[in-house]
This record gives sequence, C-alpha cells and structure tokens, in this order.
Amino acid sequence: MASLAESATERGKLRTALAGLAVAGISISAYLAWVHFAGIDPLCVAGSDGCDTVQSSQYASVLSVPVSVLGLAGYTGLLFASVLKGEAGAYLVLLLALSGTLFSTYLTYLEIFVIEAICQWCVASAAVITAALVCATLRVVGLPTHR
Amino acid sequence: MTRTNAAGSRRVMIALTVAAAVLVTALLVALSQLEGGAGTGSSEELYSGIPQNGMTLGEADAPVMVSIYEDFQCPYCGQLSREVLPKVVQEYVRTSEVKLESRPMAFLGEDSLEAARAALAASEQDLYWQYHSLLFENQGAQNSGYVTGKFLDELAQQISGLNTIAWKNGLDSDAAGSELEKVRSEAEASGVNSTPTLVVSGPGGEKKLVGAKTFEEISAAIDTAGGS
Repeated sequence: MASLAESATERGKLRTALAGLAVAGISISAYLAWVHFAGIDPLCVAGSDGCDTVQSSQYASVLSVPVSVLGLAGYTGLLFASVLKGEAGAYLVLLLALSGTLFSTYLTYLEIFVIEAICQWCVASAAVITAALVCATLRVVGLPTHR
Repeated sequence: MTRTNAAGSRRVMIALTVAAAVLVTALLVALSQLEGGAGTGSSEELYSGIPQNGMTLGEADAPVMVSIYEDFQCPYCGQLSREVLPKVVQEYVRTSEVKLESRPMAFLGEDSLEAARAALAASEQDLYWQYHSLLFENQGAQNSGYVTGKFLDELAQQISGLNTIAWKNGLDSDAAGSELEKVRSEAEASGVNSTPTLVVSGPGGEKKLVGAKTFEEISAAIDTAGGS
C-alpha cells in the first residue's frame, strides 16, 4: 500500500511538472505568434537578427500556418492531457511530447544547417518539449502494472 | 489481468504511441518541405507580360503607386516579397490599377549593398523585379557574407532574357551608387527609417505602412489611395 501511495504521489508530481512545462511552452509560442502577427522584431539577447531570420524564413509556416501557432496548439493540448489522470492521459501526453520533440529536432536541424541562424525562443521551446518528453516517459514507466 | 499480460499490453501501447508520433512528425515535415519549395521558380510567370521600367513594375499610367523601401537582407522584407507581393502583382499590377516601385536602401551591411547593386544592374535591362524576387527567395543569414560573386552570377543565370555580360559590366557602375544615394535621401525626406516601409499614393491620398503588412492591409490602403 505504501509503495502504491508513493507511486501515486510521484505521478501527481509528474503531472504538475508537465502542466508547468506546457504553460512555459504556451508562453513562448504565444509570444512568437504575437510578434509574427504584429510584424515586429522578437526580443533576443544580443540582438534579434537570428530570431528575425528564423521567424521570417520560408520554413516558419506549415501550409500558411505559422509554426508558433502550431506550437501554441500543441502545448495547449499538452496542458489538457497533463491534467488527465490514468493511462489515457499518460499515453496522450507521451504522444504529444514525442511528436513535439521530433518536430522540434527537425526545426533545430533547419536552423543550424539550412537557415543558418539560431532563434533563442525556438531553442527555449526545444528545451521545454524535451523536458516534457522526459516527464511523459517517466509517467508511462510509472503506471501500475497490475489491476 | 496478470502482471506479465499488463507489461505486454504496455509495450504494445508504447509502440503504438511512438509509431503515431513518428507519423505525425513525418506529416508535418513533409508539409513544411512543401511550403519551403513553394514560391521558387515562379517569378518568370509572375512578371510575364507586365511592363518594367528600371525599378518600376506596371503600367506607367496606373493611378496608384506603391513605393517599397526595403533591404535585400531584411527578413521581413523577404517575407513580404515571398508571401504578399505576388498577390498584389496578380490582383492590382496585372490589372493596371497599381504600379510598384522598389526603393532599395542597403543599410544593413555589405551583403545588402552588393545585392542592391546586382539588382540595379538588372534594372538596366528592365529585369529588376525578376532579380528582386530571386534575391528574396534565396535570402541568407544577415551579414554572413552569403552575397558572393558566385551567388549573384547564379541568380543572374536563372533570368531568361538577361544579357549576363552587360549585367556584369553594370555591377560596379557609378549609376548604381548614385541611385542608392538618391533612395537614401528620399527615405530620409519621407521619414522612412525602417524596412519594409510601403508608401501607397494615389488620387485618394497617401498612406505609409511600416512593417510586414498583410495583403488585406495593403489592399485597403490601395483602395483608399485609389479613391474608392
């Protein structure tokens, strides 16, 4: 019983951490979506050249939807999934976090090798989604194996 | 359910989740590539049949003039050129309602200057706008030194009808230097201090649009300037 209770507490902590990471992701992508639609330069340490170049590159949108808006939708989904209890919530979080991390890896590859510019906000988002993947994996691994 | 069965079922669920995530990502990457490839190779078709005179595109007697103050290295100018201007050309320039005038400012660095000189050399043959589109479609990282002689040559070779020998001779001409100086003075006089800035003027008045505007915003300014 003690270990079951400990495990439930652990899963609760992971859900809280995931919700926190989702809120951080929502903040980053909402800011980038706002600067995109307002047509202004994103604030970046040491100038905004890299962010400008990445945000206005031809890879900054998928079928005319800005990547920041896709991120906003993904992180919002992650927030809702992270508060869901049970297996369904755990697997949904894993699906969103893994998809986000893989797509983020592709975007980072484009930044380094194709666009040749780094956007600090995108790096921050990549770090957030990778941390979310770690938490999502721990949550699935921690699911009870007997009923 | 036994512990072994539950563990097996978990492995299946994890495998399904990973497969679904890979599929979602592959779809996003494919769509992103589709977007990345779009827009290139279409400038010939876009400008086909539209008169050009130096840096001006469109019929000389078009009632509305849209002057675009831009820098070939400015990312938002690139965004405007790739995503919005083609629609303005199709809807307004091709129908002789608007003429577009590019005002290259070349203030961001050496790459801007070299790119502007190359575009101005193409303007001597009234092929400025084809070169303009190619420069923005192939825009690199700011002040990375991407605007090399080889880069400019490769763009020139993509423009059908451009005499590349005459174009090369025009690269270092004094005319390009004085044209850029003229644009700089005009920008200063008009209070233009950032790119892109669009000045939309016509019988209905004049409006200045600062930043990467949408087609709808530019369209509204054109309609007002046109007096409608």
